[in-house]
Amino acid sequence: MTTLRRIRVELSFLAALWKTNLLAALEYRASFISQVLGMLLNNAAFLAFWLLFFQRFPKVNGWGMRDMLGLYGMTATGFGLGVVLFGNALSLADIISQNGLDPYLSLPRPVLLHVLASGSRISGWGDILTGLLCMALLGPPDAAAWLRYGAAALVSMIVFISFLVLVASLTFWIGSASALSGSAINAILAFATYPMSIFDGSAKLILLTVIPAGFIGALPADFVRHYTGRGLAQLAAAALVFLALALIAFHRGLRHYESGGLATGMGG
Amino acid sequence: MRRPPEGATRRFWRAGPAKYTAVLRTQLAHGLAFPADLALRSLAIVIFMWVFIHLWRATYAGAGQSRVQGLSLSDTLWYLVLAETIMLSKPRVSTEIARAVRDGSVAYQLARPFNWLGYQAAVALGDALARGGVTFVLGGLVVWLAVGPPPPLWGWPLAGLAVIVAWLIDFCMSALIGLLSFVVEDVTAFEWIYSKLILVLGGVLLPLDFLPDGWRQLVQALPFAHMIWAPARLFVSPDAGLFLRLFGGQLAWLMVLSLGLGAAYARAQKRLAVNGG
Repeated sequence: MTTLRRIRVELSFLAALWKTNLLAALEYRASFISQVLGMLLNNAAFLAFWLLFFQRFPKVNGWGMRDMLGLYGMTATGFGLGVVLFGNALSLADIISQNGLDPYLSLPRPVLLHVLASGSRISGWGDILTGLLCMALLGPPDAAAWLRYGAAALVSMIVFISFLVLVASLTFWIGSASALSGSAINAILAFATYPMSIFDGSAKLILLTVIPAGFIGALPADFVRHYTGRGLAQLAAAALVFLALALIAFHRGLRHYESGGLATGMGG
Repeated sequence: MRRPPEGATRRFWRAGPAKYTAVLRTQLAHGLAFPADLALRSLAIVIFMWVFIHLWRATYAGAGQSRVQGLSLSDTLWYLVLAETIMLSKPRVSTEIARAVRDGSVAYQLARPFNWLGYQAAVALGDALARGGVTFVLGGLVVWLAVGPPPPLWGWPLAGLAVIVAWLIDFCMSALIGLLSFVVEDVTAFEWIYSKLILVLGGVLLPLDFLPDGWRQLVQALPFAHMIWAPARLFVSPDAGLFLRLFGGQLAWLMVLSLGLGAAYARAQKRLAVNGG
């Protein structure tokens, strides 16, 4: 099979998984709506905090409410896309440690792609909606800005999911990385929703490497505000590097995978 | 002559607080049994405080003032340590109650020789004390290294007392939400709304002193503020007058909410239907 044809096959497989997840979520319509509204409310609470904050302190290192809308909207979109399309990334450490990879290993599909896309978090739709609302609130519709927003959100999602896969892959070596994975999710979301300008040099370095929160919120949001070739190159490079690291870590780890052979189901 | 059936409140006082103190002590010991695990679970405060230190340093530098609304940078950060401690350590009472109602285990709990609400409150307080202690130490270490020592020690007992009442206020509100599961099957939406109200109106992320003037008085009178802002504010500004005002407000809210919870519990008991055995 040629590489191009293989990519086409995998993409159509992914599309089928996503469609199934969406149809399953819509089966319980009231639950779907309440979770989406709940997440919108959750995000509104954080934006209300920033609104109150900037009323008292109008600028912090050059940052104001508009910048915060852009940053929060970008992080929410990247996170939302990630958990809707690859929902099992949030529980990958548990899936690995509880022999949950067994059913995927026996099927003729890429294991990582299959396990990640087999779960979907409904509340992520509320995050995506929050991102779109923030973007709409930021100003008059501009096709180029929306295009940049789409590309930046894709990078944000890739870096976020890759980071979760990297942390969860530690399970292959250390037995259980559930607590670490939980802390990593907390950390990356906490850092991604605060302006980069408040952090000093060494903290910024951490936020662009060890905990790549800068590539999930601040840098993609900057790119949406003003296009620069350098910004585009930075984002593309970050997405490729973190994706490659995640793939290498997971597949290297998979060689160490041992299972007690417990019967487990698929999905998240 | 037959004795009239004993009410729940009467049973509670007849059994004496000793029984519930024993439950609290057991729960506290259970929580502290695995200190390394407890510390790992409490790591979130280290992350949050690290972010807050950067945010508030930049904010105070930008404002060009050493005190804003009477709070220095150090006050604000120590306020946030206690506010986050209360928030991160409060047990998920509503989730536990809703689960017990849904899976029927509430029937076994009700048959035990104690007041069910008293038992739940003792368990919740034991959990909160274990987790709160470790969370406070970890968060406090980070802030101490960044901005210097904590507020004077003599104010700690006042703040500690206010924190315990704060957790009891949270218990009442959270248990009220949990009891809703006798009426509606899923209480998740109410839990979310409640936690967001605490986040914004309680002063978890921002001391309520920084709110615009019109809003401040209104928000500070609500029970959410008495759960988070009142103990944290007392911690950084220990003062007998402030203690009497805020602690009095806390006790008033605790009384109102306890009465509401007692009434809701009595109604819930009437709706309870247990099938099978």
